[in-house]
Amino acid sequence: MSVSAPAKAAIQPVRQNRVRKYGPDGISGRRLGLRIAVGVIIALVFLTPYLIMLVGSLKTRPEILRVPPRYFPQDGLQWGNYASMWSTPETPLPFNLISTLIISIFATLLVLLVATPAAYYTARFRFPGKIAFLFLVIVTQMLQPAVLTAGLFRQMLVLDINDTWLAMILINAAFNLSFALWIMHSFFAGIPKEIDEAAQLDGAGRLKVLFTVNLPLVWPGIVTAIIFTFVSSWNEFAASLVIMSTAENQPLSVALTKFIGQYATSWQYVFGISIVAIIPVIILFALIEKRLIGGLTAGAVK
Amino acid sequence: MSTLTPPVIRERKRGGGPQNRDSLWAALPWVGPVLLLIFGVVLFPAAYMIYSSTRRISQAGTNVEGVGFENFATVFADPNLPRVLLNTFVWVIVVVSVTVVLSLLLANFLNKPFPGRTLVRMAVIVPWAASVVMTTTVFYYGLDRDYGIMNSFLVDIGLLDSTYGFTKNVATALGAAIVVGIFVSIPFTTYTLLAGLQAVPSDALEAAKMDGAGPVRTYFSVVLPQLRGALAVAVLINVINVFNNLPILRIMTGSIPGYSADTLMTYIFKVLQFDRRLDIASALSVVNFAVVILIVAVYVKVVKPMKET
Amino acid sequence: MKSRLRKGLVAAVAAGTLMVTSCGFGGGGSEAEGEGGDTTIDMLVPSYSDNTKALWEGVVEEFEAANDGVTVNLQIESWENLESVLQTKIQSGEAPDIYNGGAFSAFAAEGLLYPAEDIASEDIIGDFQESFVENESFEGTQYGLPLLASARALFYNKDLMEEAGVAEPPKTWDELYDAAKKITDTGTPGYGMPLGSEEAQGESLIWFAGNGGGFGDESEITVNTPENVEAAEFMKKMITDGVTQPDPGATQRTPMINVFAQGKIGMVYALPQTVGQIDKENPDLNYGVANVPTNTGEPATLGVADRLMAFKNDDDKQEAITQFMDFFFETGTYVPWVEAEGFLPTTKSGAEEMASNEVLKPFLEMLPDAQFYPTSNPAWNATDGAFKSLMGQLEDQDAKTVLNQIQAKADAAG
Repeated sequence: MSVSAPAKAAIQPVRQNRVRKYGPDGISGRRLGLRIAVGVIIALVFLTPYLIMLVGSLKTRPEILRVPPRYFPQDGLQWGNYASMWSTPETPLPFNLISTLIISIFATLLVLLVATPAAYYTARFRFPGKIAFLFLVIVTQMLQPAVLTAGLFRQMLVLDINDTWLAMILINAAFNLSFALWIMHSFFAGIPKEIDEAAQLDGAGRLKVLFTVNLPLVWPGIVTAIIFTFVSSWNEFAASLVIMSTAENQPLSVALTKFIGQYATSWQYVFGISIVAIIPVIILFALIEKRLIGGLTAGAVK
Repeated sequence: MSTLTPPVIRERKRGGGPQNRDSLWAALPWVGPVLLLIFGVVLFPAAYMIYSSTRRISQAGTNVEGVGFENFATVFADPNLPRVLLNTFVWVIVVVSVTVVLSLLLANFLNKPFPGRTLVRMAVIVPWAASVVMTTTVFYYGLDRDYGIMNSFLVDIGLLDSTYGFTKNVATALGAAIVVGIFVSIPFTTYTLLAGLQAVPSDALEAAKMDGAGPVRTYFSVVLPQLRGALAVAVLINVINVFNNLPILRIMTGSIPGYSADTLMTYIFKVLQFDRRLDIASALSVVNFAVVILIVAVYVKVVKPMKET
Repeated sequence: MKSRLRKGLVAAVAAGTLMVTSCGFGGGGSEAEGEGGDTTIDMLVPSYSDNTKALWEGVVEEFEAANDGVTVNLQIESWENLESVLQTKIQSGEAPDIYNGGAFSAFAAEGLLYPAEDIASEDIIGDFQESFVENESFEGTQYGLPLLASARALFYNKDLMEEAGVAEPPKTWDELYDAAKKITDTGTPGYGMPLGSEEAQGESLIWFAGNGGGFGDESEITVNTPENVEAAEFMKKMITDGVTQPDPGATQRTPMINVFAQGKIGMVYALPQTVGQIDKENPDLNYGVANVPTNTGEPATLGVADRLMAFKNDDDKQEAITQFMDFFFETGTYVPWVEAEGFLPTTKSGAEEMASNEVLKPFLEMLPDAQFYPTSNPAWNATDGAFKSLMGQLEDQDAKTVLNQIQAKADAAG
């Protein structure tokens, strides 16, 4: 089944055609209809809990605690909840959102900056202690911040960066490095080495080979790493709870708990904020989703 | 897992050959920043956890004295430990294996072209984007006997005669937790596999087609082997994350008295929250950490996810 | 050895930090430190209601305006997270200067707290009601300043009682059992018993107190006494005979009280806040508030008090803390605060001031017969935790076995 170079060249255009067109010429209409139907069902399954959340965020407080529950609120949808939640007495929500954004964006950038060269290098070259290095990296994934909060708090105190964005950027970056490195490693390792060699013959240095030749080929891996890091920084709770003590600095995950009172909880706000918190991740995803399809095939065609 | 490595792949030359062997010094600029970040941020708290596990720490939080391995003796003599370990393994194995199977199917489907595919892909990413705590909370309240919308839906469509307290009994609460665990793990796994599918060379697919292989055979002999790298990493990260997951189980099984529904993580949480034993909780965390390392070491040894030749 | 390791670590982290900052990014919003003789008091408090943050911020603002050079750093956390935040802070030697919480004796036993007389003037300390002061002392010294209190009472749904043919709210256990049974027979759970991890200790003490039992005192925690076992056996009988809501062992209090507010449970033990909650969520509910039924009919109930305490961190803060306490417990500041939160006052002057409050009146009258948690016993924390994680097993284990398990946890901590 191994394919020779000429065969490869001959096959390429054929496949391109098929990917671009899914109309009546490519796939039968019935099959396409089936796919759309399955797609709709899948989307519904994954969205249902969040639709419940959305409806909950549009209820009044008495309505949300009704026994038995109603699927839709009788006294109208309270869109006003989405306006009033920004100025509740419990937490300064606009600040919380900004904090979360800054922490997540910079943690993600830091991870990419640090993990990409290491992933490329470990996939391409051998050096003493490489296996130990990769294992060490994965060990950090096993240590969740949840069981380490006491030590993290103490360390940030000593460094005098407690209650700062920097502390949470460093923590989120460090604990999410491993996945980013491992997934990019596996993608770099999947690129035929001849590509590098050809570029090196042209006199390109290793860094240049990485950025101009390899990087465009591993976009799917990078996209996955970005989403992974961003999402877990976005939702990190345990370390933020003890390290960020000022209400304005706390991320959304911690701010949410402020609505949970001793005897009563403003569920409509908890749900509303959770919905709002999903949006930036979806925007990020929409921006980079095309890269996911691009990837290797795009590179191979060039 | 060894079936995932047929000879087809082996023939492709990739990765570093012996000629690419560098010295440690040449490697440092590339891997140094990673080491710096890890040693800078992770090492101290990890060491601190191990240190705490050998101390006696008062209820208030004061570090009283060193007690050697006494806390570990307490942990291993704990009559709840076997049940907790059993629950942990059931939880991890069921969640990860079902997640992987469903994600393989889903990734394969989302890789096929059809109108609206991007929208479906975005829908699938939502559980990943949402906070796990909130997703679990929705399930928890949805399944509540009195307020639960999901519960009353099951009654309305005739599956239940009257609402049922899913989160109040060990078996159903664990079951519900497992469903939520799978639900929130699928998006990440699917995306990793979907990314991996992009790396399947079209020439190999066409060659298989020309050889007259059906779609199933093509999938197992061409696609799956190519997914090996992404799959290996996805399973690894899933095992670790599911093993260490606290919020899902804490919420779904949290109102059940006693320890019969606990996993290692929720047990650590209870020791911390209710018994206020920071020292014992640290010892348990060390045990937890050792168990994960052991599992991962075995996994890495068997599956060799970092292998490239 | 340890300090060398730490130095090395700090250097490594500092280098990492430097690298990141030199990429053009510094930390955000670091807190302002007191400068030139100024004192900053760190204050950690739980959130009682959606008003809590605004109420404390109001107090702090007025206090800072009246006291030049003292800044209060307010941190508010949910009850669920409060104690883990505190524990982490103490472990790192960063305890808050003022803390609002439940248990205090474990801190006092280790000498972490200022005695009350060092952080409040005599007038203020003398104004607290004696029944509260008792529970603020450890080994003869008062440490806590009682902040607020509540008592439990029986809330009953008048419509459901009428439908079931129960004329009067029950006064004894047997009457309670009877009423619960009659209501249950009409198709709605008669009595709500929340033995889940949220509040199992509260429900238990209400029942134990109703049989002359309790949780013990400063020197000894007593859980498996004959009185308590008898009470637990009666609780178990209510469960087994099906006159409670389903799965009481895994039922949390807050959602259960909500179900009562929605008219779907006949009777529950609840607290002053419940009145306001019902007003907000289901004002049409036809309900009444009565004394807690007991085994013999003698009055008894559970009283709960929370307190302010001050951790010893820096000696020059003692004066500022005293200023704050004196400012806060003054009637003009304290009464509006405690009234807005809907709790009972702990000061004599506050009780006089609030005597006319119709909602709180029945609860104020119950206070003299209230049993409080043995907060002055250092093992109370662990006992409380043991009740929360184990008491629900009453559903399928025998009463004595369950109480023995809890006793064992308490003894292990003592």
